[in-house]
Amino acid sequence: MPTEKRHFVCVVCPIGCEMDVVHDGVEIISMEGNRCDKSEEFVRQELIEPMRILTTTVRIRGARWPVVPVRTDRSVPRRLFTGIIRQLRGITLQAPVKMLDVVAGDVLATGANVIATRTMPRE
Amino acid sequence: MLREADVVVIGSGPAGLTAALHACRNGAPNTLLVEREEELGGILKQCIHNGFGLEQFNRDYTGPEYAERLISDLRKTAVQCFVNTLVTDITSQRIITALSPEHGAVQIKAKSIVLAMGCRERTRGSIGIPGTRPAGIFTAGVAQRLVNIDGYLPGRQVVILGSGDIGLIMARRLTLEGARVAGVYEIMSYPGGLKRNIVQCLNDFDIPLHLSRTVTEIRGRERVEGVVVSRVDDALRPVDGSQEVVQCDTLLLSVGLIPENELSRKAGVELSPDTGGPITTETMETSVPGVFACGNVSTVFDIVDYVAETGVTAGSCAALYAGAGPHRDRRPVDIVAGENVRLVFPQRYASEDDLTLFIRAAEPMERPVIVEVAPPGSKITRPYARPNEMLKVKIPRSKLAGVRKPIKVSIKEK
Repeated sequence: MPTEKRHFVCVVCPIGCEMDVVHDGVEIISMEGNRCDKSEEFVRQELIEPMRILTTTVRIRGARWPVVPVRTDRSVPRRLFTGIIRQLRGITLQAPVKMLDVVAGDVLATGANVIATRTMPRE
Repeated sequence: MLREADVVVIGSGPAGLTAALHACRNGAPNTLLVEREEELGGILKQCIHNGFGLEQFNRDYTGPEYAERLISDLRKTAVQCFVNTLVTDITSQRIITALSPEHGAVQIKAKSIVLAMGCRERTRGSIGIPGTRPAGIFTAGVAQRLVNIDGYLPGRQVVILGSGDIGLIMARRLTLEGARVAGVYEIMSYPGGLKRNIVQCLNDFDIPLHLSRTVTEIRGRERVEGVVVSRVDDALRPVDGSQEVVQCDTLLLSVGLIPENELSRKAGVELSPDTGGPITTETMETSVPGVFACGNVSTVFDIVDYVAETGVTAGSCAALYAGAGPHRDRRPVDIVAGENVRLVFPQRYASEDDLTLFIRAAEPMERPVIVEVAPPGSKITRPYARPNEMLKVKIPRSKLAGVRKPIKVSIKEK
């Protein structure tokens, strides 16, 4: 299989290791520059399907603020961000909401739940 | 009405929350946390992205989750919190004047004080962009507040000036909310924010980053209609003929943060021209005995974990001070910036603890470097030095025993 050399920046932690990776489109053939195993896992996943945590807000009624911050409880394919946001636009929550409450379950069949990231009492 | 407290912490962002928690845990149950907004948490409340607490808790929290964890820890202690309370004055004798709808005008006599007021953003006025004065010009942090707390999209066609982390985070946030970010323009030849933010906020969304370019004119009467961007030379002067008009209805500024030290000045605290914050020792004590400082009021840090780390030190040491009073024979030595060091924090060493240094390089060095701390002559290797990523090194107290000379910190080629 033809090999390709590609530069990666790991986004797992703030160190942001920079790596020169030789790969064949599916698997890593060699890599250098990473300081831990997490970067290797990161690159392997980037080659298949870049995955990220999505953070955004959802409308809420009856609280001090009009929106409540939310996140996916695990990484989801980055290409699905727009679709997930579109789904969340259709949701209006009712206060009270507690941190970690599920706002939308199994979004776009990713297996990830969208959860609230702060508590918002009823006002 | 005069109240008394062991430790008073001013500001309830990550630095203040951590300091209050650790003051209480280290023998100062009569600790008071004062916050001018209606809720605790400071800027964390609007930082809804993840990446908080990786080093401190080994968890990947969002800002609100990180705040809620600290606040719930704090609720289990005896720490008292005053919200909606604005501190208007601090004296060098540690008498604090504060105003609030609930408590009225109060005076608090503190055995020790922790300053944790954070920082504020530089504005259009601080960098002097010529042009008209239409609506649609925001600092990145104000836009972040509007989107993430007030649920309001400030514009549809956005140009971002400056590549600080908040600007990068907002480029992604506004894109997700349906705005079009035309580009991020950075006057320096290297980015201001963390590398990982360039990747996951710009590259992930195909938002271009233009280095060595700045906004030289704002156009529009009622609302921003566009900006003129120009290339700059090595002296950061706009190059004639390089002007280009970029259509937009909104300009976000992410052009630096300034430690907020009006209260520190009133207390007579000596400030550093390099950091803009109080000059402190390794215990985070300022030049005024019993007044400590931590977090972004001291120097602008890159990540919250460092902010919290200084909060732990300031809170614990403020509690010790409240219990035992001042050290009598305290003669701190200066810590000075040497070769390729723009700033170093803390700026003094008082031989009371290990020395954790936060160092910002003056120029990027994309090859292995040695961080030299002399005395004691320690040499620590790092893979590179970049102005946008603080270096942190720790020198054990045992190596610094009896140090009398100023400690010089340099970044040299390996």
